[in-house]
Amino acid sequence: MTEDILLSAKGLSKSFGGILAVNNAKIELKSGSITGLIGPNGAGKTTLFNLLANFYPPDRGQVIFDREPIHQLPTYKIARRGMVRTFQVARVLSRLSVLENMLLAPQKQLGENLVKVWFDRKTIRKEEKINREKAMSILESVGLDNKARDYAGALSGGQRKLLEIARALMSDPKLILLDEPAAGVNPALIERICQHILNWNQAGISFLIIEHNMDVVMSLCDHIWVLAEGSNLADGTPEEIQNNPNVLKAYFGQ
Amino acid sequence: MLNLLNNSGYIVSLTILTSVFAIFALGLNLQWGFSGLINFGHIAFMTIGAYTTVMLSLAGIPLIVAVIIGAALAALLGFIIGISTLRLREDYLAIVTVGVSELVRLVANNEEWLTRGVQGVRRYQIPFVDWEPGIFGKVMAIILLTSIAIFAEWQLLRGIKTQLQEYHSTKNKSSDQPRKPITVITWGSIATVIILFVYINGTISLYDYHYQAGLMVLVLLVLALVYWGLEILVRSPWGRVIKAIREDEEIVRALGKNVFWYKLQAFMLGGAIAGVAGSFYAWQLNAVYPNSFEPLQTFNAWIIVVIGGAGNNSGTILGAIIFWTYDALTRFLLPQLGIDNARLSALRIMVIGLILMILVMWRPQGILGKKEELTLGK
Repeated sequence: MTEDILLSAKGLSKSFGGILAVNNAKIELKSGSITGLIGPNGAGKTTLFNLLANFYPPDRGQVIFDREPIHQLPTYKIARRGMVRTFQVARVLSRLSVLENMLLAPQKQLGENLVKVWFDRKTIRKEEKINREKAMSILESVGLDNKARDYAGALSGGQRKLLEIARALMSDPKLILLDEPAAGVNPALIERICQHILNWNQAGISFLIIEHNMDVVMSLCDHIWVLAEGSNLADGTPEEIQNNPNVLKAYFGQ
Repeated sequence: MLNLLNNSGYIVSLTILTSVFAIFALGLNLQWGFSGLINFGHIAFMTIGAYTTVMLSLAGIPLIVAVIIGAALAALLGFIIGISTLRLREDYLAIVTVGVSELVRLVANNEEWLTRGVQGVRRYQIPFVDWEPGIFGKVMAIILLTSIAIFAEWQLLRGIKTQLQEYHSTKNKSSDQPRKPITVITWGSIATVIILFVYINGTISLYDYHYQAGLMVLVLLVLALVYWGLEILVRSPWGRVIKAIREDEEIVRALGKNVFWYKLQAFMLGGAIAGVAGSFYAWQLNAVYPNSFEPLQTFNAWIIVVIGGAGNNSGTILGAIIFWTYDALTRFLLPQLGIDNARLSALRIMVIGLILMILVMWRPQGILGKKEELTLGK
């Protein structure tokens, strides 16, 4: 059972000034799962994401990813180990093309070494070609292939979300943290995003998803964690969560 | 005006000055144009490069070694500034760099045991001064100059070709008008004329050999190498990472890149390039004084980068050409209007301010910059 736990965080706390944004929170997810993280606005979901990826150093607590503690690693090293996040408001590199956004993601590129750029051009060209083909096939699968040469800044909000997920995928992650993938996206596109997430999950990538759209959460997730006022409120399967009186109370204030 | 054109020695020294500042500004363009690091103290790197080169060559160290050590020390300065401030937000970095450049100049001004202070350093070794080339040497130098000219023209034609292709591919599309073919070809022709002019003048002065002609070939060669090296760099995956950092460094961090280390590399490399420019500047000046390295020079480099278009290496070289052509023309033309010297220098600065304002309104992206990039939302 404990063998296939991919990510587990215990006792995470973070306060900003006097406000305790995340208080002794716990989260656990299995390898190969799609896990949801829900809670009312201001519950600390995004802060928890930032703590997991060490965008903010946690005040207390520990995070174990792939059987190794990561809460003291710098952000970029966490990403290299295979945990990649997206942002709540989709962030793209505006003045780079869509394709360049994608090509940034692969880890350990030879061409990112300043000296090798000049003295190993042939190998780098080969590497670029492989990466470009991979990027194009991912872009094709999300329907952005005809935008590959456009500036990423010229994409619409929904397309940016797609690009951000595609870019995370390009880095061959074990786990992708998605912060509200469906927010501000039209229903048809939401359906497509969900389908992609399911497909990629079949291919072995785990997801942790913050989402307010309950249809999305309930249809995608195997397991859901509920956060309220910075602390854990409940966790369980979608059915359990839907019938949990505490959750209903937190959401609807009854 | 005719005097100016007939005086091949003057054109040679103008070519050297332009190339020195082109190299200098290319370093800044790497830091600001590509990596988004605001460096208001770029002159510090040049100062280090210049002083290191002349002091070491006075101590009997071969010139080439002195230049390399100068560039390395400039990079080291970049490392020291970078390691302590690159974690700061960009405006703080700008303030620190201004401070450091003044610090470096004041050290040069006051530490007489090291730099001879305000008396300056003179009578140091300059390349080619003792060289008396035979016909073979001259022919070799001319061949070298020819290949540099061909390289420049090839780069120019390549640029024109991309511009024209861009025009054809976006003609039917969006709101932003790409440059019209006629404009591209006109500018291309003007650039070709400049290349030919410098080439012919250079050939003549190599034939009636004076050491400055040799220095000119050397600095043009270094400029070509720096330009070529940077072009490879900014089109590589490394260049992609630093451009991405310029856009939004948090994304880059989230994708597993060590942002701090990349910024440090770009900052150090830009500094080393400015250090090399410093060596040539010292050779061109014949004597170095601390006040040759006032903060104004940093802003001249900024003007060059802004005119040409930040994040564009050819644009930076074009900016240097425009800047020094302007400088030379006003130096020779304006006195003929009967203005005295004091007012003249004020007028020249005013005009350059005016040009910058017009440029920022008319082409905020710089001459070779891309307009579409300005209209993109974050």
